[in-house]
Amino acid sequence: MVPKFKPSPLRIRSFCTKTVQQNPHHWPIKQITKTNFNESLSEIKNHISSSDFIAVSLQNTGSFSSPWHRVSTFDTPETAYLKAKFAAERFQILQFAICPFKLQASKVIAYPYNFHLFPRDELKMGMPSYSFTCQTSYLTAMAKEGFDFNTCIYDGISYLSEAQESTVKVRMGNPMAVDHATKSSSSPALSVADTVFIERVRSRVKHWKNACTDSDIKTEALVTSLRKIVLGGEQFGSRPSMTIDVCSERQVQLVLKMLEDFSDVLVPLIIPAKGGGTQAVRAVLTSSDEDKHLLKRELQTFEFEQNKRVRGFREVIDLISASQKPIVAHNSLNDFTFIHSKFLAPLPPNMNEFICSLRLAFPQVIDVNYLLKDIGPVKKMTNISATIAYLKNRFFAPIEMEIPNQANENEGKIHGHNVVKICQLFGKLCSILKITPDAIESSDDFLASAINRYANIFYSLPGSSQEPTNEEIRGWTNDKRKVSCEDVVFLWGFRERISAGILKNMLQGSHEVFAEAFNVRMVDRSCAIVVFGKPGLSNTFKNVMNSKEVSGPLREMVSDGLKAAGYETYQRVCSSGLWESALADALDKALASHNCLSEAAYETKQSEIYLSNELINLAEL
Amino acid sequence: MKKRWPITILYRAFSSSTTSTTASFPLKHVKKSNFDSALSSLRHHVQAADFVAIDLEMTGITSAPWRDSFEFDRFDVRYLKVKDSAEKFAVIQFGVSPFRWDPLKQSFITHPHNFFIFQRQELPLDGAAYEFLCQTTSMDFLAKYQFDFNACIHEGVSYLSREQEDKALKHVNSTYEDESLDSWHSLKEIRDTHLFNIPDILFAERMKDRLSEWLGGLLRNRDGGSEVQPSFNDSKQQFETIFFKMRPAISLNGFTSHQLLLIQLVVRKHFKDLAYLRVSGENSCSQNVIVYIESESDKKMLMKEVKDEQKIDAEMSIKASIGFRHVIDLLSSEKKLIVGHNCFLDIAHIYSKFFGPLPLTAEEFISSVNKYFPHIIDTKILLNSNSILQQRMKKSSTSLSKAFSVLCPQIALGSKSTHLALQPSVKVEVEVDDIRSSNWNSGVKHEAGYDAFMTGCVFAQACSHLGIDFKQQSSSENLAHNEKLREHVNLLYLSWTNGEIINLSTGNRTSESLASNKRKNHYPKILFECIVIVWGFPSHLKAWDIRECISKVYGPTSVISVYHVDETAVFVQFSRAEMVSKFLDLKGSLDRNNDPISVLHPLAKLLEGGNTCAASYETYKEICSSTVSKVLFADQAKAVGIKWKTKLVESSDKTKEHESLRKVKAVNSDPSCGERTKNKNFDDHPCSFNGSRRTNTNLPIELLSEIFEELTDCENISHRAAVCMSFMASCHQNFLPSTFISSSISFLHCSHNHHQNLALSSNVQTHKHHQMFLPQLKESRCASTSYDGWLLTLPFDRKQNLYLSNPFARDRIKLGTAQALRVVTSISPLDPKCVVLDIHK
Repeated sequence: MVPKFKPSPLRIRSFCTKTVQQNPHHWPIKQITKTNFNESLSEIKNHISSSDFIAVSLQNTGSFSSPWHRVSTFDTPETAYLKAKFAAERFQILQFAICPFKLQASKVIAYPYNFHLFPRDELKMGMPSYSFTCQTSYLTAMAKEGFDFNTCIYDGISYLSEAQESTVKVRMGNPMAVDHATKSSSSPALSVADTVFIERVRSRVKHWKNACTDSDIKTEALVTSLRKIVLGGEQFGSRPSMTIDVCSERQVQLVLKMLEDFSDVLVPLIIPAKGGGTQAVRAVLTSSDEDKHLLKRELQTFEFEQNKRVRGFREVIDLISASQKPIVAHNSLNDFTFIHSKFLAPLPPNMNEFICSLRLAFPQVIDVNYLLKDIGPVKKMTNISATIAYLKNRFFAPIEMEIPNQANENEGKIHGHNVVKICQLFGKLCSILKITPDAIESSDDFLASAINRYANIFYSLPGSSQEPTNEEIRGWTNDKRKVSCEDVVFLWGFRERISAGILKNMLQGSHEVFAEAFNVRMVDRSCAIVVFGKPGLSNTFKNVMNSKEVSGPLREMVSDGLKAAGYETYQRVCSSGLWESALADALDKALASHNCLSEAAYETKQSEIYLSNELINLAEL
Repeated sequence: MKKRWPITILYRAFSSSTTSTTASFPLKHVKKSNFDSALSSLRHHVQAADFVAIDLEMTGITSAPWRDSFEFDRFDVRYLKVKDSAEKFAVIQFGVSPFRWDPLKQSFITHPHNFFIFQRQELPLDGAAYEFLCQTTSMDFLAKYQFDFNACIHEGVSYLSREQEDKALKHVNSTYEDESLDSWHSLKEIRDTHLFNIPDILFAERMKDRLSEWLGGLLRNRDGGSEVQPSFNDSKQQFETIFFKMRPAISLNGFTSHQLLLIQLVVRKHFKDLAYLRVSGENSCSQNVIVYIESESDKKMLMKEVKDEQKIDAEMSIKASIGFRHVIDLLSSEKKLIVGHNCFLDIAHIYSKFFGPLPLTAEEFISSVNKYFPHIIDTKILLNSNSILQQRMKKSSTSLSKAFSVLCPQIALGSKSTHLALQPSVKVEVEVDDIRSSNWNSGVKHEAGYDAFMTGCVFAQACSHLGIDFKQQSSSENLAHNEKLREHVNLLYLSWTNGEIINLSTGNRTSESLASNKRKNHYPKILFECIVIVWGFPSHLKAWDIRECISKVYGPTSVISVYHVDETAVFVQFSRAEMVSKFLDLKGSLDRNNDPISVLHPLAKLLEGGNTCAASYETYKEICSSTVSKVLFADQAKAVGIKWKTKLVESSDKTKEHESLRKVKAVNSDPSCGERTKNKNFDDHPCSFNGSRRTNTNLPIELLSEIFEELTDCENISHRAAVCMSFMASCHQNFLPSTFISSSISFLHCSHNHHQNLALSSNVQTHKHHQMFLPQLKESRCASTSYDGWLLTLPFDRKQNLYLSNPFARDRIKLGTAQALRVVTSISPLDPKCVVLDIHK
C-alpha cells in the first residue's frame, strides 16, 4: 500500500479572478439539444482547438445484462473486448458529455458540454439504429437524477456513423460532381455498339443544347415547351439540364468522354443508383465559365449542408478526431466501443482490429483508471467521486476547477458532471504523477512522451503496469498473482446458491488434484472458476472429468450434473456470442456446438481448419 | 406503440355546439402516486361492467426488419414473431375502459383509465437485469403524439408477473427455511479466520472488555437498581443500548465491516449469553445488534422470531411490488368480455408481462390465454367479418380511428349535431372521478386510455348494428353469450397481413372467408414445403436476378415467386416441393466443388462470394425462434450459429424426379399456372426453349467466340434470343453483323400458353423488359425472333400456317403450314436482302 510516487510538493495557489466552482452541483455545464446544436458548434470547435485534452463521458441505457457479462478480472483483453462489444451494439448513448480542457499548474480550465442524443431515424432508412435496449435500472437511476426523457426523445440530436453516412449518400441518389478520379484515363477500345451509342447520345445532346441556347429566334411558347418535352430537357435549379440514361459503368465512361467535347458549357453530374453504381449522367447547361464555377460551388455547399444535416452529432466527433488531441476517459474500453460502433463503423471481431481502427480516428486515448494504477493498488475504481475522495485523503494535490462557460442558467437540470470530474481527476493524477503541470510550456516532447506512456491502453490488469498479454488473467482482486488461462477451469452444474467456500470444501476431498493449493470463485449463480496453483493439474482434472475413471465423491458430483471446461470454452462462448443469462447455459451450448462440430468434422474442410486451429491454440496456451 | 394505419383525419371539436366547458377528453391518468385509490375504484367499475375495452402502447413492434409480418408467415412462424415482439418490447401505457349500460340514462357509462406502467427492479433478485428493447421509429412515433416518457419512467406503476412473484416467494422460502439456525453466512466463513496481526488482536481484546462490561452492568441492573449506564452510551455512539424483541441489546454503529467481523468472532468465542444478529432496519439498511439471551432455547426463539419477521417483511415487499398486475388479475378473475382492436399482440404482451414466459407453440399459448380470459372480442375482426358492419363501414379501412369516426361520429366529433341524429347510435358517457360528461373535445390518439375508449365505443355501436338491444339485455346476462356475438367471440387475427384468424376457444385456424375482402394482393395459398430461404448472396442481386438464375436451371415455370425478406435474404417459392430438395442438393454439391463446371454453372452467379446459404422453411422457423435479433437476416443466421451453407432435405429418388418432370409439362399447359404469375411484370425466362438446363452465362469472351463459331446449326442460331442476356449481348456485339445492333427492340420470349397471348420483349440497349399482349400469338407460340421486331409464330396445330409477324407494324407474312418446316430470317423480311432459311425434314 506504499505509493510509488510521493505527493507533489505544496504549491501556492494562484489567485484567480474568475469564478472558480468547486461544488460539483454548480458546475455550469452547457446542455445541448437539437435546438441549440448548430449555434454551439463553432464555439465548441474553438474550445477544442485551443484545449490540451478532451475528456469524454457517456451516459448509456445499460451496461451488462447478466452478472457474468460484466468485464471481470478473469477476462483476457480479448474476452473483455467481446463483452464490451456486445454491450456497445445493444445499448444506446443518451448523453454524451465532452469537455475540452487545459491544464495550467494546479488549475484545470474546462469547457464542458453535455449533448443529449437520440437515434432518430431522420432519413427513414432504419439508421442510425433500428432499435436499442434499455435497462430499467439505468433509466430509473437517470430519472432519480432528474433526467428529462421527453427532451431527450423529442429534442435529442441524431447522428449517423461514418459507415452509415457513406451508404446513405449512395441511397439518397444525390447528383455528384465528376471528379477526375472517376474518369478513367485509358480510352477503351470502341466496339460498334459503343460507337452507335455515343453517336446517338451526342446528337441528342447537340440538339438539346442548340435548342436551349437558341434564344435569338423568337419562338412561340408552345413550340418551346413542345420542344422541351420532345428533347427531354429538365431543370437543375435554375439551369436547364438533360438526363442521359446509362446501363453500365462503361457507358458512363463513354458519356463522360463524349461530354468533354462540350466541356465549355456543360457540367456532367453522376446520378447514383439506389443499389450502388450509376443510374444516369446528367448534363447541366451553364451560360459561361463563371456560371460554371458558380454551379460547382453551389453543388459543393449543397453537399456540405446536406452532409451536416445527416451527420448530426457526429460533427462533434469529427471535430475531436480532426483535432488529434489526447482524449481522457474513465473506463475507456466501454466508452470507446460505444463510440466506435455508433460513430465510426460496426465493431470489428477482435480487439486488435478494434484498436487499429480506433487509432485512425483517435490517436491518443488516456484512461484515468490506468493512471491510477501507477499510484498504487486502488480497489474498486468504478466510481469517480470515490476515487477523487480517496486521492484527496492520500495526496495533497489541490486542483482548481475553472469553468468559464456561460451555462444556460434558465434551464432546470444540469447533467454531465462526470466529465468535469474526469477532468478534475486527471488534473489531480497528473499533478501527483508529475506528468504535465509545467511541461506544457517547457517542452511538448516531454509531455508527449509522458502521456504516451499512458495512452491507448484499453484494458489492463489491476496492479500491473505493463500491457497484459492475452494468456494471463488475474485470479481475483486481493491476489496479485497472475494466472495463466491454462490453469483455470470453469465448473458448473452444482446446486444453485452454493457459496464458493462450500464448493471449495466439497472439491477438496473429492480428488487428488485438489490436494494441492487451489482457489474457487463464483462467476455467477450457476458457475464457478477453479484456479489451480500448480501447472498441469487443470488438464489432469479435465481429463479425469471426461474419463470413466472418475470415482469417489467426484463421481458423485459428476453424477449430480457437475461439468467442467477449460478457458478455451469460455473464449468460445464470448467469441460466438452465446450471451445466455447464466454462464452455465452458455458453456453448455458452446460444448454442444463444439461436439457437433467435431462429429461433423469430415463434412466440410472449413470446420477441420477450425478444429486444428483450436488445437494449436491449446498447445500454445 | 401500436401498429396502425396512418391517421389521415384529425378531428377538431366544434366547440360552438358544446355548452359545457370541458376542454379536453376526460381521462383518468394513473401513476404510482394514485394507483391504489384508482385500483379500488376500478375494481367496482369492472365488476359492474358489461365489457372492458383495453389497449396497450409498446416501445416497439419488430426487433428487426425481417421479423415484420409477411405473407410468407406460416402460423407457427407468425406466433414466433409475435412472441419475440412481446418478449422484447415493454408496455409503457395500458388503457382500461370498463363500459356499463345504464338503463336509467339509456346510455353506456365508461370510465377510461390510462395507466403509465414501467417495470422497475424493486426486489433484490440476482440474475439477469430487467431490460427491454426500444424501436427507434416507435419511440419517434410516440413522441409525435406527445407521449409523456417522463411520466412513464419517473412515475410509472411497476409490476411483477405471476411467475416472477412465485419465483421471488420461493427464493424467500428457501433462504429462510433451508439453512439451519446458526448457519449465518458470514459466521461460517470467519470460523477459519484467525487473528493474525496485532491490531486485530488488540481490537478484539478491547471489544471483549467492553462487551463484558456491558453485560456485567446489565446483570447488575437486573439484580439491583435500574440506573442507566451512561458510561456505555458514549464513544461516538458506536455502542447504543436498545431493546430488541423485548431483550436488552447493543446496536453497533460506525464500525467497518472488518471490525464487525471481529466483534462477531468475539461474541461467538467468549459470550454464551450474547447473540450477534444482522437485521434489516426500517429503511432497508441493515443493522448489527448484539442481543442478550437468557438460554439456548431463548436464543433459538429469538432467531426464529427474527427470521419469521424477516420472511414476512420479504413477502410483504413482494406483494407490494405486484403493482399493476392487480388490474390484470382483476380482469381475469371477473371473466368479463374483453374488447380489443387487432389485439393478438396485445394479448401476447399481457401474457408475457403479467402471467409468465410465453409458451413455445401457438397452441399452448391459446389454451392458456383462454383459461385466463375466456371471452375476448376483436373489433377489427368483427368489422371485417360481418356484412352488416362492412356496409356500415362503407368499405373504408378498419383502423381504429377510422372505424371510430365512421361508426361513432357523434362521439368522435364531440357534438350532438342534429344531422347525425338520424343514425341510430348508442350513447356513451364518460365518467372520471365521479364527474360525468358527454361533451368533450377529442382525445389524444395513441394514448392507451383514449384508444381503449374508442375501441369500446366502436364495439358498442357495432353491437347495436348487429341488432343487440342493450335496453332488452338484462344486466345479469353476459354479453359474451349473446347469440349474435357468439360467432365472433374469441376470434383473433393471427396475422392481419394474410388474414389468418385463430379461434382461442377451439384453437382452429381459418382464413378470412368473406368475399368482400378488400385486400389488394390476394396471393394463392402458399405451400411452405415449396419454399427455400436463401441468404448471404451478393448484395447487388435483386429478386428478378435470383429468379432468372434459378429459372435457368429448372426452367421458367419452376419459380413461382421470389420474395425479399430483407436485403440479405429471399424466399424462393418453387412450383413443386421436390424442387426444394433438388435445389439444395445441387447447391450443396456446387459449394463443395470448385471445378470449372461449377464455376460456369448458372447458379454460380447466386453463389458468388461464397457466403450464400440456403435451407428449407423449417430453418427459417428455427431462426425466427432465436432470441437474438440482428438487423440483417444474414447476420441473424450467423448469430444463431448456422455454420453450414446448405441444409439438405431428404432427396427424392430418380424415378420420382422423372415423374415430376412429366408433371411439370402438364402443369405448364394448365391455365391456372398462368394465373399464378399474372401479378408479375415479367414472365418466365426463355431458356427452356433449348431444352437444355445449362446456359452459358458468364463465359469469358475468348470462349464465347469459339462457341459461336461452333454454332453452325441454324436452329441454334435461331434460338439465340433465347439464350441468356449477357451471352446474347456479347455475341451480337462481337460476332454478329452490325445491322443487328442498330435495332433496339427484340423479343425475348413469348408465352407458350394457349390462353395467354403475352410476350416479353427486351430493349437491348436499355436492358428494359416490356410485357406485351399480342393477338398474333393466338393458337400459336413464338418459335423464334429476329432482332428488329419480327417473330416467327408456330401454331400448336401443325396443320395451321406459320407466320412471320411484326407486332409493331401489324404486319404478317404467311409462310405455309408448319409441317416439317423450320424457318429463320436474317433481318427484316421487308428488306430485299432478307434471307429466309427453310429447312425440310
